[in-house]
Amino acid sequence: MREVYVVGIGITSFGRLEYPLSEIAAYPGMMALRDSGLSAVDHVYVSNMGGCRMNSQSGLASAVVDSLSLTPAGAETIENGPASGASAIKQGYMAVASGLHDVVMVTGAERMREANVFDAVEFVATLTHPLAEAIYGVTLPSLAGMFTRLIMKKHGVTERHLGMVAVKNHANAMFNPFAHLHEPITLEGILDSPEAMTNNPYVAEPLRFYDCCPVSDGGACLILASGDAAKKCGKPRVRLAGVGQATDTHAVHERKDPTELCAVRGAASQAMRMAEVKPSDVDVAELHDAFTILEIVESEEAGFFKKGEGHLALEKGETALKGKLPINPSGGLKGKGHPVGATGLGQAHEIVAQLRGDAGKRQVKGAKTGFTCNFGGFGNNVVCLTFVREK
Amino acid sequence: MEIYGYKCRKCGHINYPYRMRCGKCRKGEYEDFDPVALPKAGKLLTYTFVYNLPVDFSVPKLGLAIVELSNGVRMTGQLRAEEPKLGMKLRGEVEVVRQGEYEKSRGMVFYAA
Repeated sequence: MREVYVVGIGITSFGRLEYPLSEIAAYPGMMALRDSGLSAVDHVYVSNMGGCRMNSQSGLASAVVDSLSLTPAGAETIENGPASGASAIKQGYMAVASGLHDVVMVTGAERMREANVFDAVEFVATLTHPLAEAIYGVTLPSLAGMFTRLIMKKHGVTERHLGMVAVKNHANAMFNPFAHLHEPITLEGILDSPEAMTNNPYVAEPLRFYDCCPVSDGGACLILASGDAAKKCGKPRVRLAGVGQATDTHAVHERKDPTELCAVRGAASQAMRMAEVKPSDVDVAELHDAFTILEIVESEEAGFFKKGEGHLALEKGETALKGKLPINPSGGLKGKGHPVGATGLGQAHEIVAQLRGDAGKRQVKGAKTGFTCNFGGFGNNVVCLTFVREK
Repeated sequence: MEIYGYKCRKCGHINYPYRMRCGKCRKGEYEDFDPVALPKAGKLLTYTFVYNLPVDFSVPKLGLAIVELSNGVRMTGQLRAEEPKLGMKLRGEVEVVRQGEYEKSRGMVFYAA
């Protein structure tokens, strides 16, 4: 297989965007073309989860490839739940690595905020098992709440630890001009003050409002190229060195130990093994913190910390921007936002910016190896990526 | 009324919910399962109360739980118990769990035993 490099990146602001879905996908594509200096690509992959349902748009890739005047390049839309973004990157990787294409654009977009809150909750809940979960009113926050209760009992994680993830990621998002939330928060405001229950009510006990990511619109793009094509672009050499993916049971209750995220473990170890790196080699990571608990548990399943010790590392500040392993310097899904179908691309965009040394005030000094975990369903379909900066 | 699990004729594993091939021995096809009524007694594995609900749920909060039934099969269902404790004994009833505009769904509702 050939080596695959990232030669262009682009992103929109995350938040509420008053543009059609196809433009939210095309705009970061345009920025990535500008970044790479290219004017054409061989193929376009577009990741999106809810366009058919929320924006009444099908065949999104055809709209995007035309909007960017990249025709007659092939184009297709990739849907893999909230892991659509990283899944699309994996498709792009395979196309370039196999030699089928030399340069591919992978862009993703979601426009969720035009749906009312009930429709948005209901839409994301269509990920759950229709007969064994969804009919009961199970939503993603419900599954995360039940999961959190088990983790709290097993490992001693407290609401305070969850709050620390939120405070850290909101603080990181302050340095990210593209982030959805520019809202610094404190543990006092969300947990300790007399107003805490008003500021931060329960959503799905024991998870509160500030444990859940916002519903965002947004898009992000990567342009991938073979080694030869990358040389011509002359960008800093960031290699997509490892891709990994694993699945788990659809219904969460069927897992042997419901406190384990086996798909994260499988996908992460594949992505690192392929890149020939160990968890201790990773300098910066973007983990899928749709709920604060997930950042803690994913950091363990990816191998950065021992099982049951992720919250202790967090407590010591090891995952802070200036810590030993900064996690979610972009603000994560919690602070930067979660436009579901584009999130995996947003994570990869951040890691590439970090490895290029272009991340401004949130730059992790000297970062050479980066890792992303894009978590689909409630852990039933996970895609992880490893990026390496070459000299 | 009952809720059924699907017992694999090859290895005896009870699959719930239904799937095409057995989740344990990974063998079998469409006809290789016997439906078995699931027991209604169980213990509470984990639960949540949810305040941000999908359409069709006009209640201030909804209790949801993962329950381990007396034969070891696990099930997600609604929970109607004040101050639940992990590990507490529950009994289930099949009731209407969701009433939509045009259709209603039945499923398991768990109460303190």
